[in-house]
Amino acid sequence: MIIESTALTKRYGRHTALDGVDLSIARGSTYGLVGPNGAGKTTLLAILAGLRRPTGGRLDIDARPGKVALLPDTPQFENWLTGREVVDLSRNLVAPHLPATRVDEVLHEAGLSDAAGRAVGGYSRGMLQRLGIAATVVGEPEVLLLDEPASALDPAGRREVLSLIAGLRGRATVLMSSHILGDVQEVCDTIGIMRTGRVLFQGTLQSLLAGRTKPAYLVRLRGDAGPVAEKLRAQTWVTGVDVQPPGQLRIIVDDLDLAEQHLAGVLANSALPVISMTPEAADLEAVFLELTS
Amino acid sequence: MTLWRLEWARLIRTRRLLALFGAYLFFGLTGPFSARYLSDILSQISTPGVEIKLPDPVAADGIAQFISNASQIGLLVVVLVAASALALDARREMAIFLRTRVSGTHAIVLPAYTATTVVAATSLLAGALAAWYETAVLIGNLPVLRLLLGIGLGFLHLAFVVAVVAFVANLVRGVLATAGVTLVVLILMSLLANFGSLGRWLPSALSSAMAALVRDTEPGVFLPAAIVAVLATVALLFGAIWLGGRREV
Repeated sequence: MIIESTALTKRYGRHTALDGVDLSIARGSTYGLVGPNGAGKTTLLAILAGLRRPTGGRLDIDARPGKVALLPDTPQFENWLTGREVVDLSRNLVAPHLPATRVDEVLHEAGLSDAAGRAVGGYSRGMLQRLGIAATVVGEPEVLLLDEPASALDPAGRREVLSLIAGLRGRATVLMSSHILGDVQEVCDTIGIMRTGRVLFQGTLQSLLAGRTKPAYLVRLRGDAGPVAEKLRAQTWVTGVDVQPPGQLRIIVDDLDLAEQHLAGVLANSALPVISMTPEAADLEAVFLELTS
Repeated sequence: MTLWRLEWARLIRTRRLLALFGAYLFFGLTGPFSARYLSDILSQISTPGVEIKLPDPVAADGIAQFISNASQIGLLVVVLVAASALALDARREMAIFLRTRVSGTHAIVLPAYTATTVVAATSLLAGALAAWYETAVLIGNLPVLRLLLGIGLGFLHLAFVVAVVAFVANLVRGVLATAGVTLVVLILMSLLANFGSLGRWLPSALSSAMAALVRDTEPGVFLPAAIVAVLATVALLFGAIWLGGRREV
C-alpha cells in the first residue's frame, strides 16, 4: 500500500470532519473517492498533501518527500505568468534536476503547446485545469491527489481532463475525489465512498456493485402502462412493479431466468407497443444512493 | 522560473515597482519644490489683503517636506505592495500550488520579503536622491554624510515595516486585512511614540531620521530605535515563517 490510514480523525472545534478514516490505497491504482458535499473528501486530501494536520489516528504514505502532489478543484495561478512559466516554476520547485524540456513535454501532453506562451489570465477553465495537471505531473509525483478535477468544467473540458487522468494510469498512484459518479466509474479501478467523515466502502468497482441491486427489468411502452402493470403483478415470478410515467415500468423479479422466458409474452398480450425492454444494470449511482442515503 | 524570479516578475509585470518608484520619486521632486515656493504658493491662494510671511526655507526643509509625504503616502504604498506579495494564503489555490511544492514556508516568505524590501529601499533612495538634487538646486547644500546616514536608517525602517507585513500576513488572511492590520500597528506605534522616552526605542522614529539628521540632530539619538528595528525585523520574520508553517490551508 502506498497510502494507509488508521482511524484518521480531523476535528474543527466541535465539528468532526473526518471520523476514523481507514484508507488503503494500492501503489499504482487509480482510486476514486466519492461522497456528497461535506463528506470530508477535501479535508482528507488536504491531510494527505500535508496542508492540514490530523487530530488523531495514523497515516503512512510510502512516497519520497516532495513526491505527493495535490491539484485543487479550481486551480489558479498568477494571471501575469505564462503557462510555460507556471509549469517551469513547478518543475524548479519539485524536480529541479529534470531538464527544462520536460516542461514542453507535459504542456504538449496537456494540449497546451500553442497556449504555453500566453498569460494564464486569458486561459479558459478547462485550460487552467489542464495546466494544473501539467504543473502537477511535471515533477513526476508518486502520488497525485486530484480534488474534483472535472466538476467545474463543460462536457468538452471534462472529457479532456478525464482523458489526461486516464493517461496517468501506471505512471503514478492517483487519488481523485469527485461527486460525479460517472467520472469515477470511467477512470478509477478502486472506489471509496465517504459520508459525514467516514469511509462507508472501499474496494474495486466490481466488488461494490456485486449483489447490491435487485434483479429487475426496465420496460418502456407506448400508452397507458397501468393495465400491463396489473397483469405483471399477477405473475408468480414478479415481486413488484413500479409504474413510472410516461409508460415506463420497473419490474422486480425473483428469478431472471423465468422473467426472460415469460416477460416478452406478457407484454405481447398487452397489445401496447413496446419501445424498449432491458435488464436493469447495477450502476454506481444506485449503490452510492443506497449507501449514502 | 524560480520563486525569486517570480517575485521580481510580480513587481515588474503588475506595475507595483512603478507605483513604489513613482510615489517616492514624485515626493522627492515635489518636496523641495514646495518647501522653496510654499510662501509664494500660499500668497497666491490666500484672501486678498492677507499677507502670509514664512521664514526663508533652509536646505533641511526640502528633505523634511519629502519625508513628511514619503512617510505617509509612500509608506502606504509600501504596505499595500508588501501585503499583495506576502499574503500568500489570500488565494487558497495559489497557496496550495506553492505550499505543496516547497520544503518550508521560509522558501516562499523570504524571496517575497527580500524583493519587496529591496524595491522599497531603492525607491526611497531614488526619492531621497531626487530630493537632495532639487534641494541643492533650489535651496542649498545638505550635509552629505548625515543625509546618507538618514537614508540608511530609512532603509531599516522600511525593512521593519515589510517584516510587520510578513508577520501580519501569517496571522490574518487576505491582502486588505493584512494591509489594514499593519497600518493599525504602525499608527499605534506612532501614538506610543508620544509617551515619554518610549519614542526613542520605537522603529517608527527612523521614518523621520533623514529629516532630523540634516537638521543637526545627533545620530546617536536614533541608535536605540535602529537596534530595536533590526532585532524586531529578525524576530518578525522568524515569527512569520513559524506561523506560516503552522497554518492549515
